[in-house]
Amino acid sequence: MKALLVEDLHVHYGTIHAVQGVSFPVEEGEIVSIVGSNGAGKSTIMWTLAGVVPPSGGRVAIKGSPMPRKPHEVVALGLALVPERRRLFSALTVRENLLMGAYRRAGGDEIEAAMERCFELFPILRERLSQRSGTLSGGEQQMLAISRALMSGPEILLLDEPTLGLAPILVEAVMETVARIRDEGVTVLMVEQNATQALEISDRGYILEAGVFVKSGPGPDLARDPEIRRAYLGG
Amino acid sequence: MFLQTVITGLSIGGIYALMAVGYSLVFSVLNFSNFAHGAVIMLGAYVGLALATKLNLGFGLVLAGSVAGAGIIAVLNEKLAYSSLRGRKAPSLYLMISAMGCAVFLENLVYATIGSRFYAFPEFFGRQVVTLWGSSVSLLDGGAFLFALLAIFGLHLFIRRTRTGIAIRAGVCDMTMCSLMGVDLNRLIAVVFLLAGGFAGVAGVFLGVKYLVYPTMGWVTNKAYIAAVIGGLGSLPGALAGGLILGMVETFVSTYVSSVLRDVFSFTLLIAFLVWRPNGLMGIDSEDKV
Ligand SMILES: Nc1ncnc2c1ncn2[C@@H]1O[C@H](COP(=O)(O)OP(=O)(O)OP(=O)(O)O)[C@@H](O)[C@H]1O
Ligand SMILES: [Mg+2]
Repeated sequence: MKALLVEDLHVHYGTIHAVQGVSFPVEEGEIVSIVGSNGAGKSTIMWTLAGVVPPSGGRVAIKGSPMPRKPHEVVALGLALVPERRRLFSALTVRENLLMGAYRRAGGDEIEAAMERCFELFPILRERLSQRSGTLSGGEQQMLAISRALMSGPEILLLDEPTLGLAPILVEAVMETVARIRDEGVTVLMVEQNATQALEISDRGYILEAGVFVKSGPGPDLARDPEIRRAYLGG
Repeated sequence: MFLQTVITGLSIGGIYALMAVGYSLVFSVLNFSNFAHGAVIMLGAYVGLALATKLNLGFGLVLAGSVAGAGIIAVLNEKLAYSSLRGRKAPSLYLMISAMGCAVFLENLVYATIGSRFYAFPEFFGRQVVTLWGSSVSLLDGGAFLFALLAIFGLHLFIRRTRTGIAIRAGVCDMTMCSLMGVDLNRLIAVVFLLAGGFAGVAGVFLGVKYLVYPTMGWVTNKAYIAAVIGGLGSLPGALAGGLILGMVETFVSTYVSSVLRDVFSFTLLIAFLVWRPNGLMGIDSEDKV
């Protein structure tokens, strides 16, 4: 079954037509990347799929059923978003951020197990549990943002620029983590500035330009396409 | 005399703190001054009054009934007057104006139905006094202070420790992300108003028992706004500290200077804080709300 099916999606901000009819499927267990220049509409697609920004046209199906209209109902279908610039609860501690991620989970044991899984991916977080998340370093904040999303045990993970502002070595680590998350059975839809690395691990990639897809294909192929390299991947 | 003044100041301060807590809670979550909070306090007092005079209930049940009644009224107030504005992402000024409208509406509703008469609660505690170190202290005042302290401490624990409490604090940081954690925002906001209303009910009963019940009694929430600003808007310990400081200052000014000057001092204090310390005592930075 398709984890996500987007058909002819349109999004307006007032008179701005930010997304102008994009269609794509995301199969279960895939990593799909969307690449594009600033203002192309990548984040808008992410916010729309999470139920925060309402679409002005088209259809979105999550695991076969039409997308609900409220974010908390979308989350209940097993989708989680790591938004652009992390958006942590900065006044809350690391632990409290993780607990919020597990808000929909019932039991304490289940929550502890989910936390342990996050510490396996990002051991440093264990040492930061009672620190206020606003005081974490940029890299630590990114790890927490991903962990917070994983705490709900999502089936579909949306990542909006998960490596924004990270050192190259951390970019590599995050990409490895994303691949590992997928290997554990999570479907991933990702937007990345460091597009070469993202495309390398993606089953499929889409090039977004001014609200429409101009090219798509298997991720590694796009990463090697000279035209795309010149336009989006910095040569 | 001195000790008596201190206890009176603490009890008035405790009531201010109870009012400030509810006001502050709504402010920190929705970022607007809920000027209808005073009207909810007033209605809570009337609920308590009805339970005490019509059903002859004891103080505990009157208090519980008033908490429940004012809590429900506050939730209805939000559903009817604010939620559609929230849904349309209206600027907080609109919410504030709507709140003022609610305050005037509810007051006039009471005028039109119950009338402008002043009512007194039955004497629950008589005028019992205990003698402490040579001065006589009213049991009611001491009790009111202790109860306010306990209630606010309870709320503090709720906000710090429970799942819903953490969600409220998360919502204060970032409402959108809070809903993306699976939180139903309408429900969360209803809980916030239920809490604020519950505290308004306690404040209403204490005010009514200490003074009288009448349609404009809610205007005393002016003092709660001052208390909230002194303590730092949005901070619970701040609301408590602000309420107690204001209660003490007022009582001491009334007793030792002149009761005519009481409000002059209170509002001077407000202006002084707004000018020199707009974040109040405990609102160290805007990230530390609630
Ligand atoms: N809240 C908003 N109100 C009005 N216009 C918006 C809003 N958010 C985004 N836009 C506009 O929609 C377009 C797409 O923005 P979006 O944030 O989706 O781009 P993006 O591809 O994520 O860019 P970047 O790579 O810089 O993050 C832009 O022209 C932007 O100015
Ligand atoms: Mg973006």
